[in-house]
Amino acid sequence: MKRIHDSLIVQTMSRLLIPLAQLFALYVLFFGQYGPGGGFVAGVIWTTSMILTFLVFGLKSPQGRLVEKVLHGDGVGLIIFVGVGGLCLIGGGEFLNYANLEIPGLDAPARRYMGILLGQIGVAVDVAVTGISIVLSLAYHDIEQEYHV
Amino acid sequence: MTRHLPAIIFLLPLSLAICLPLIGIKHREWCRPMAFAVIAGMVLVSIANLVGVLQTGTIHYAFGGWAAPIGIEWVADGLASVMIVALSLLALICVIFISSVLFPNLGSRIVPFYTLVLLLVGSLVGMIFAGDLFNLFVFLEVSALCAYALVGLAGGKALVAGFRYLILGTFGASLYLLGVGYLYAETGTLNMADLAERIPLLVTSKAIAVGVLFMFIGLGIKMALVPLHGWLPDAYTYAPDRVTPLLASLVTKVALYGWIRIMFWVLGAQAVIYQIPILFLVGVLGAMAALIGAFLALSQKEIKRMFAYGGLSHIGLILVGMSLGNQTGFAGGVFYLLNDAVMQAGLFFWAGAIIHLYGVRTIEDLVRLRGGPGWMSAALVVMAMSMIGIPPTGGFFGKWYIILGAVEAQNYLAIAAVLIATLLTLAYFLKLFERVFRDRSAQQPPLMREVPLAVRISLGATSVAIIVLGLMSDHIVNFLLKTAVPPGL
Repeated sequence: MKRIHDSLIVQTMSRLLIPLAQLFALYVLFFGQYGPGGGFVAGVIWTTSMILTFLVFGLKSPQGRLVEKVLHGDGVGLIIFVGVGGLCLIGGGEFLNYANLEIPGLDAPARRYMGILLGQIGVAVDVAVTGISIVLSLAYHDIEQEYHV
Repeated sequence: MTRHLPAIIFLLPLSLAICLPLIGIKHREWCRPMAFAVIAGMVLVSIANLVGVLQTGTIHYAFGGWAAPIGIEWVADGLASVMIVALSLLALICVIFISSVLFPNLGSRIVPFYTLVLLLVGSLVGMIFAGDLFNLFVFLEVSALCAYALVGLAGGKALVAGFRYLILGTFGASLYLLGVGYLYAETGTLNMADLAERIPLLVTSKAIAVGVLFMFIGLGIKMALVPLHGWLPDAYTYAPDRVTPLLASLVTKVALYGWIRIMFWVLGAQAVIYQIPILFLVGVLGAMAALIGAFLALSQKEIKRMFAYGGLSHIGLILVGMSLGNQTGFAGGVFYLLNDAVMQAGLFFWAGAIIHLYGVRTIEDLVRLRGGPGWMSAALVVMAMSMIGIPPTGGFFGKWYIILGAVEAQNYLAIAAVLIATLLTLAYFLKLFERVFRDRSAQQPPLMREVPLAVRISLGATSVAIIVLGLMSDHIVNFLLKTAVPPGL
């Protein structure tokens, strides 16, 4: 599983498919406002593109390094989500009541639109990072030594 | 502003928990003061919330502005607000204890450690405020996941204990969720207030009866009610000494609170399942738990394990108080629950401190304590007095009100159970005292080590709290009778 794929066909196809998958993830994310889709699905699709990256190019390649860096963003998705909710609180409404989203220069429908979109982006980031960290910890990280607490 | 306080109490630990991994990349040493500051803030906000609830009445907090039966609702009534104040105060003392220099350095794992602790506290807040059954499940799972990870943190045997806890806890949560599914299929709603209106019309429904039993067994595993307690003794014995107080004082108690919420606020005190009144069922199981837990504690050699079994017996006593079906018994049960949370925290502070100060793990080792600082023994005496039920400690008055309730209900079985459990508790604490104070066989020089400040603060705070709870018991129980009694009792 740790071996890098050296077939030229696989590498070229992945170069084509990975950006396409990521573009589709973005489409699902934004389309989720009006139809089926949304943050969770978009996050999963983004994760599959990342998994394909380090299956084909390996973790040591520049692309693979990027994947490992992403893991530091464990809480970023949740911060975005809670931040949106907190902005609603500051605006005087309940937590996650998008009608009160405190972003200047927006009318009520636009506030709801932005609230849902930002919340979904948070969910997508969180799902993507969690998915990648599950795969990495199952497939790549060695069993660590015993701890003394 | 008052109406937002329940959400703010929850958001404080949650926000820090999700920010810590980012802060921890650069400034690992900030984790400790920030966690302390946030939980101290939580204490202030929860007191403000209690005052607000007393002045304006129950707060119904609708997330996202969607009203109750459709949206997600949190209910901050008298009982929940009192529980939140107790929870945040205990969490504060536990966080002080966790940061003691007594324990080995966590190194880079300090960041995930504090993240887990904060998430655990936040999810317990969610469980207490949850106004519908499904949210109760969600927060039950979040708190349980944090608890599994914290138990397994020490590695070795703790990993096995943590894994066992994980399997049994997940089994319990699945049963609870299955029960919620049955109730939802039958009533079409998950909101507790809504369910309370619809369930009385469906008393003959078998689906409701089975659903309620599933929920009871599921929460029974989480609160370690005696036939279902298999995970608890190992988990508490092998868990890292710094987190055991947090787990012992909060996690099982909040699961018990969840069942109280369902039993009285959703099903109603007069609910009957297959011709058996539910309060009777809970009372018998509670009495069994009180006796068996104390019996098992009597035969233990390890100190932490003995205290863990003592905690099982107290869960039973609380349920006995709840099941009496009158207001005195209920208030006594809640008062005993608060007491027990403080006592368990204090006992495990003590057990953790002596392991690291003197290397005392078993009752045999306790002789090493003689000649040590006197107030370590004094703290044990205060805690033991409360566990046994000797005035003027909180434990005595808790049992007193439970017995008063039992007399009122003419339930002599309950009185017998409380008294026998008291005698058994006395017996196993006498075993400890004999080693600490009377045994003069081994005259080895004691290991003199300075007791760290954090341990002094946490042990002192719990000992004082036990006595204050005892002295103020009249006010507290009257207050609970006025504000926290369920409807229809």
